[in-house]
Amino acid sequence: MTIVVESAAPPRATTVRRGLVRGVLRRPAGIAGLIMLGLTVAMAVFAPWIAPYDPYETPPVRIEDIYQPPSAEHPLGTDDGGKDVLSQLIYGARVSLLVGFVAAILSLGVGSAIGLIAGYRGGRLGGTLMRITDFVLVIPALALQIVLVAILGPSLTTIILVIGLLGWTYLARLVRSETLSLRERRFVTRARAVGAGDGYIIRHHILPLVMPLLVAYSVLFISLAILEESTLAFIGLGDPTLISWGKMLNFAFTRGAVSAGAWWAFLPPGLAIVWVVLSLALLGNAIEELLNPRLKRHYLERDRADRREVVDRGLVAGVLRKIPVGGPGAAPEPILAVRGLTVAYDTPDGPLTAVRDLSFDLHRGQTVGLVGESGCGKTTAMLAIQRLLPPEGHVTAGAVMFEGTDVLSLPEDEMRAFRWTKMAMVFQGAMNALNPVRPVGQQVAEAIRVHDRTISGQLADRRAAELLERVGIGARRAEEYPHTYSGGMRQRAMIALALACQPRVIVADEPTTALDVMIQAQILELLAGLTEELEMSTILITHDLGVVAQVCDEVVVMYGGRLAEQAAAGPLFHDPRHPYTTALLQAFPDAGSPDRALHAIPGTPPQLDAMPAGCPFAPRCPHAFARCGVEVPPAYELDGDRRATCFLLDPAEVRSR
Amino acid sequence: MVTIFVVITFNFFLFRVLPGDPAKAGVHDPRMSPETEAALRERFGLDKPVFLNFEEGESLFDSQYFIYLGQLAQGDLGVSYQYRSTPVSELLTVALGNTLWLVLPAQVIGVMMGVGLGLAAAWRRKSAIDYGAVAVALLLWSLPTFFLGLILLLFGAGALGLPTGGRATVGAEFDSAWEAFADLVAHLILPTLTLALVIFGEYVVIMRSSVLDVFSEDYILTAKAKGLTTWRIIREHALRNAMLPLVTLIALDFGFVVAGAIQTEVVFSWPGLGLLTVTAVGQKDYPVLQGTFLLIAVVVVAANLLADLAYGFLDPRVSEAQHA
Repeated sequence: MTIVVESAAPPRATTVRRGLVRGVLRRPAGIAGLIMLGLTVAMAVFAPWIAPYDPYETPPVRIEDIYQPPSAEHPLGTDDGGKDVLSQLIYGARVSLLVGFVAAILSLGVGSAIGLIAGYRGGRLGGTLMRITDFVLVIPALALQIVLVAILGPSLTTIILVIGLLGWTYLARLVRSETLSLRERRFVTRARAVGAGDGYIIRHHILPLVMPLLVAYSVLFISLAILEESTLAFIGLGDPTLISWGKMLNFAFTRGAVSAGAWWAFLPPGLAIVWVVLSLALLGNAIEELLNPRLKRHYLERDRADRREVVDRGLVAGVLRKIPVGGPGAAPEPILAVRGLTVAYDTPDGPLTAVRDLSFDLHRGQTVGLVGESGCGKTTAMLAIQRLLPPEGHVTAGAVMFEGTDVLSLPEDEMRAFRWTKMAMVFQGAMNALNPVRPVGQQVAEAIRVHDRTISGQLADRRAAELLERVGIGARRAEEYPHTYSGGMRQRAMIALALACQPRVIVADEPTTALDVMIQAQILELLAGLTEELEMSTILITHDLGVVAQVCDEVVVMYGGRLAEQAAAGPLFHDPRHPYTTALLQAFPDAGSPDRALHAIPGTPPQLDAMPAGCPFAPRCPHAFARCGVEVPPAYELDGDRRATCFLLDPAEVRSR
Repeated sequence: MVTIFVVITFNFFLFRVLPGDPAKAGVHDPRMSPETEAALRERFGLDKPVFLNFEEGESLFDSQYFIYLGQLAQGDLGVSYQYRSTPVSELLTVALGNTLWLVLPAQVIGVMMGVGLGLAAAWRRKSAIDYGAVAVALLLWSLPTFFLGLILLLFGAGALGLPTGGRATVGAEFDSAWEAFADLVAHLILPTLTLALVIFGEYVVIMRSSVLDVFSEDYILTAKAKGLTTWRIIREHALRNAMLPLVTLIALDFGFVVAGAIQTEVVFSWPGLGLLTVTAVGQKDYPVLQGTFLLIAVVVVAANLLADLAYGFLDPRVSEAQHA
């Protein structure tokens, strides 16, 4: 809905960082993680004051002290040496956290340095660094850690170094690819062009942007290091002079606590590890969600049952009454009638209306052009009439009648049968609309067979090949994958796919945008020729008025999610009635009169979350007057079966001028 | 291939260059007479130069490194210090077999369950299944493998009466091969379950996020527009694409599985490579340690190569690039 324009200015890192802290604090998982971690850190720092005993003191062991169950004297009992488990647990936090933090800092430092150098410098040095990284990455870490600690001797320093210096590989790869992509961004190339040194660029332009990645990974690294330290200690490779949770577990395991049923000797240290790692995982999840806000929903989510109930059923009945059922003398019934269509998207800040009160008809054999700048709701409207909106979008009002059928209230299975047999779509960007891991012909044949199970697989394959041939792709290429096709061929394949079930209506969404001019013309001719031959009706979404003039019978101009003007193609071009239509025409080169000056429309279409109160076009309209800023203009019916939504056409306004 | 060679060389120098000189540790003993020690050093080849032999009249390659390479080529990994008569290669073969008994079933069960639950969680996003799956995965991630093993060991031994350690019941005699096999399976249940759970937790998360990515792809919208049922879309269009990153991850994650296996073997005294490694550490049995490390590393590297090949087979875009 919004177009992200890459700015030449670097995004501000401070806002990123401040947003991160606030974002984490706004999430329950983040708060829980922070509190859990905070408690553990406090326990480690204040260990000598909290712990009831000093676990490093070795009092003489009396036999009756060994494996004492929890009591008032020892809240968590005693271990095999008669020592207080709770005190050891509190002191053990020091080792775990120390190893975790220091090793994580080491991993972060090494990983980001190698990643930055390899990504920023590239060349031989970068290649060598990456090869080393890949090598260390495939060596199983724990096995190498065991071997190294065994050879070097298990002191705290060795353990920290071994864990820290082996854990950086994955981060190095991530930082490198991030740096590689940043290196070519405009603000970096520009900084280089004005003579900034490498160090300056890395410090001021790259590091701030890699920072969030490092923050996310620091949390992961700390938890990994804590897990690894406890594992090493558990298998007997902990620092012999220190108490850690892993070592408590090692003692419990090797000295019979498990078989003695002394659960207090090994459950507390194990749960302590779980507690810390869980706190970090919760924190990490909150950060991760903030940094990679993925699509909140996906295409296969169930339709919410409550959704369509918002639709004004009275309106549907009205539409049904208004459309004549045919019979002698009646106006021809439109194959598709859209009435009052209103579509909203759920966002965290509430619903945003993307299409409002859109009405138009499509008659048999007609081609209707849907025109407007990007982001004015054309695609949304077309997805809505086929019930293909992403889950966050839904129709809040209006009706869609297809040959007398109320499309928006069809049950799911009837809707499936309706799709592709009645209405098919040529999607924008055919590269992503075709499945990359299945041959093109198979994807066409699949559509045929889904709707007619009597057709054998072979026959469907043959028909698919014929269809591909028909759009100018050799039948042989049916077995090939989309990535072997050129852009034009993919678009042709998309058309063949749309034709597969001989639908009554084809919606073509900017079928030519990504193609060069020659191919564009070919594709349009192909589409127009085939739809005419097969007696299909077409809705063509485009922002190219030349295309509209070439193939459309009727034109619907949209602006800011609303209808601006609707008229037959000829009258629209010769006598536009809405100022937006006029502006569009003036912005478009006319081959007939090359001397005419072109006028760009100042400004940009309104964002969905900042829709003007009155007419959406008012801020850019040269004719706007007071009323336009406060009141939304209705559609005025004009002579010659056309409509436009502009107060200039209000009979009252016309009279008063 | 290059990687494997680098692993071999790395392995050699790891044990010779680092301080502590483990190569000598196995031979050195203050009670030994200098003569015996010299004889032993000669027997283990420790009197020769490490990398290249520059001594006059000697072959340049008459060094510890090249002798090691030559022996390696013949499958000779030296003799265990700990069990002086047993060749390391023999110990490794037995241990590798036992480890595979543990790892393969665990990997299959863990990945399949993880893929299934991850798919369900992504499909029914924000449902009870989804929240449950994420919570289980989070908990399994936070549980150290050895601790999970300890809990299962306590529970399995107490409530289910399953054997808690080793590969076979000590001293038991079996009437048939079938009974022996049943005994083996009984010993395998708890360690396999431990490792499978750990792998399962990992793959729930990976599969869930992979499926969520694929489900928001444009070609899923195309499939839906074509009138396919949801189940068919998943089967024909989503599953294969969602599994692609998994194949790479299965390989990348082999180190993680190895780590899990080592811990599991220690907890359940399962006589595989992990337990062999850990006992070798305790006994300072460096030839064995060197052998287990080499074997683990080579197996993991080989698994990575296999995964690359599998990926090319599954993704037409990659296989064309390889042929070109």
